[in-house]
Amino acid sequence: MLEYDIVIVGGGGAGLYAALWAAENTILKVAVMTKVYPTRSHTGAAEGGINAVLTHSIGDSPEAHAYDTVKGSDFLADQDAVDIMCKMGAAVIYDIAHRGVPFSRRPDGRIAQRPFGGASFPRTCYAADKTGFYILQTLYEQCLKNNVTFLNEWFLLSIIHNGERVEGLTAWDIRNGGVHLIKTKAVILATGGHARIYWNRTSNALGNTGDGTAAALRAGLPLKDMEFIQFHPTGLAKTGILVTEGARGEGGYLRNRDGERFMKRYAPEKMELAPRDIVARAIQTEIDEGRGCGPRGDYICLDLTHLGEERINERLPQTREHAILYEGVDPVREPIPIAPTAHYSMGGIDTDKLGRTGIKGLYAAGECACVSVHGANRLGGNSLLDVLVYGRLTALEAVKYADEAPETNPSVAKQKDDERRILELMESEGKEKLPELRRELGETMMKHFGVFREESSMKKGLEKLMEIRERAKHVKVHDTGKRFNTDLISVLEFLNLVDLAPAVAVPAIERRESRGSHARRDYPNRDDKNFLKHSVVELKNGEYKLSWKPVKITKFPPEERKY
Amino acid sequence: METATLKVFRFDPDKDKVPYYQDYEVPVEGTLLNALLYIKDNLDPTLSFRAFCRSEVCGSCAMKVNGKTKLACKTPMKELVETWKGKPLRIDPLDHLKVIRDLVVDIDKPIEKMKTLIPWLVPDPRVVPTDPMHESIIYPEELEAYKDQIHCMLCFSCYSACEAVEDYERYRGPFAFSRAYRFQVDRRDIETAKEKRIRYAISGGLWSCVQCQKCLYVCPKGVKPAEDIQNLRGQAVRKGFTDKPGAKKLKHYVDWIYATGQINRLYLPEEVYGNREAREKLTKAYEEMGVEVWEVPKPTKGLMKFRDIYLEILSKEEKALDLDFSHVRKIDKMVSDIFKADICTIVDRVHEEGKGGKLIEKLKGLFGGDNG
Repeated sequence: MLEYDIVIVGGGGAGLYAALWAAENTILKVAVMTKVYPTRSHTGAAEGGINAVLTHSIGDSPEAHAYDTVKGSDFLADQDAVDIMCKMGAAVIYDIAHRGVPFSRRPDGRIAQRPFGGASFPRTCYAADKTGFYILQTLYEQCLKNNVTFLNEWFLLSIIHNGERVEGLTAWDIRNGGVHLIKTKAVILATGGHARIYWNRTSNALGNTGDGTAAALRAGLPLKDMEFIQFHPTGLAKTGILVTEGARGEGGYLRNRDGERFMKRYAPEKMELAPRDIVARAIQTEIDEGRGCGPRGDYICLDLTHLGEERINERLPQTREHAILYEGVDPVREPIPIAPTAHYSMGGIDTDKLGRTGIKGLYAAGECACVSVHGANRLGGNSLLDVLVYGRLTALEAVKYADEAPETNPSVAKQKDDERRILELMESEGKEKLPELRRELGETMMKHFGVFREESSMKKGLEKLMEIRERAKHVKVHDTGKRFNTDLISVLEFLNLVDLAPAVAVPAIERRESRGSHARRDYPNRDDKNFLKHSVVELKNGEYKLSWKPVKITKFPPEERKY
Repeated sequence: METATLKVFRFDPDKDKVPYYQDYEVPVEGTLLNALLYIKDNLDPTLSFRAFCRSEVCGSCAMKVNGKTKLACKTPMKELVETWKGKPLRIDPLDHLKVIRDLVVDIDKPIEKMKTLIPWLVPDPRVVPTDPMHESIIYPEELEAYKDQIHCMLCFSCYSACEAVEDYERYRGPFAFSRAYRFQVDRRDIETAKEKRIRYAISGGLWSCVQCQKCLYVCPKGVKPAEDIQNLRGQAVRKGFTDKPGAKKLKHYVDWIYATGQINRLYLPEEVYGNREAREKLTKAYEEMGVEVWEVPKPTKGLMKFRDIYLEILSKEEKALDLDFSHVRKIDKMVSDIFKADICTIVDRVHEEGKGGKLIEKLKGLFGGDNG
């Protein structure tokens, strides 16, 4: 049995920053367990930047940042938590800059900031167009410097607790095979988002399967605001990979089947440059009303041809490369097929403003957590901030807790359970095929819980999800090897997705209003009277139970979200 | 639908005595990664490979296609089929790394090797404020110094392609030197750390790189390890780490080229390896074979002007300090002694008299003809 004082699950931005702050502030035994090598985590794909009010942001203030965040969240964010996050902005930015993150600089040598959607002030710090990548690499370097223990390529299976305190984990060692019991006093879950429930309609990496969130759900922990999934308007039609907002910024047109620039009917002034959610909804409406392009009418055209080869090469080289590579279309000559793509999970493991869950010693940070600082809609540039602030806060909380917590005694029952579960997967008769079922899951989510939602469709969708969840029990792991068995990992990831999908569906049906990313055709308006509250889903005896929880409102009373 | 055949390396050490290749028929569509995922979904779920971001930022899916290192998510199938004219595409794991299974290799070792080069910032408190709320000022042009190195995503393509890794077990690997060099040119990094990095780089094989430049060509992110290694070597020499043959060779090249316009093959073994007999043996061997050889290269016309230009080039590259002027003066003295005049006048005299043919003849008699 492996023994630690603190185990951090996930080696992305939140996990590494937590590891760093834990390592520097304690002599306790800390380990980072991650299913991919840390620098491969999805934080590395974050391009845009990280919001913070710095000492030279004259005219800006943490209060203004907090207000923008709360307004962006459509007033569903907890304002005490938002306050903490926005006040810590400068501290985390300077800290990672001091550790080597190559932030882009102003001519006077100070950290440069640029304007971003939904922000009243240019406060997004950036490092070229690879902010997340540089942050991830720098944090990894600093972890190596501090001799952090890594369990690389280990897959989380179960969280063990006694109803009051966390006691340990079980995990699969991908490289060598085998279920391990890990004894620990504290656990920080930093396992990222779960937008892969939309399978191919997501901008996320192959492995953003909400492993920590699903394990928490199965361990009886509540998940919060799961119905809120942010859609990015322009994902490549075949893969969901992002086409940057810059493509529209440079003057790209969105056209439907008839070649019409349909944005004139949705946002006549801003046209293609309207906010993300408005563009996403416009595109989805065109597709839903039969004006989509292609043989199946399931995408819209992003037309850059009028920009000319030179401009495309100069300003949008990556977009051209990706369109050719992943879509087989050269934007110089043909429009790019695009459709909305699931991008970010606002919901996640229910935590308080310091990242604590209801179980002592168990914390969650980053996209897998729902504090909530993003509410119903996350602002661009706030996710990297969330990741760092809560990585650090949960590390300090965990250190404080583990310093004084009693020894734990996790039972081997869970390990035996998981061993049996995996054996069963390998011995299954294999009535169901993983790729098919996974595709069905993604299509069901997109069709019934996509950009637009509607009661009767969602109810059908939930039935289908429960059916898929049932059928998932008959998926077989064909690879019986112990060593680097990626077939097993794919199935375990899928089983996490099928557990999480209904947790999105159930509150989506019951939230009979439109708020932030949750857009209902049958309830097009926000309803503060009935729904200014967090949804909470728990899994009890195989049933998804929904309850509600108040939103923390301190400084900013709800008002209409208008830009 | 157009298809292609992938011949994929298979090996599960738990089951297979030896590796083998398995053929898969895949659609020529999208990227090599798409083709591998197609295999996993439709043909054979037991094939193991790494992949994650699918858009060229995570570095998981580096592998070899017909011997060439590629990032699977960045390689269009169409391009492969066209390049190899429909021949089967052999997919292999990266070289120089132990195979865990199929295309999955063990990357712990290169990471451990990299760690020995202190590839992280060690802040200089005079530059980086210890007060966490105090910003450290960095001018935009300072970022230029390491703008390429920071793109390294640890895909290990360069490690796989590297000839020095092949020859020398302890060799840290191209990426490791690039990641270390990034901090050598960061003003925030403390001098003592920079010094240590050089010391560790030298014991990690800094002078073993043969400058084959393969790392530079295989890097999917435009990092140029071979150049960074050259720059690290320059730093090593400047910091006085001149006891390694590689450093001595560099010193020989730089000084002799400045002093005479070319290297001196006769003195090279002595200056680099301390082999005192080599010069005599070589001279004798050359004579016996009838090959013309000079003890000191013939000073060329315009040598002084050449020196100015050479110094200017070195200064631009910030390598003027690589020149050891005391060594240059020794060479000058050798030339003066042989030609019986100081270096400035001798250049012109050689060529003036050369026209008449007198001195050239005399020199030929002395050292054995034209050095071409």
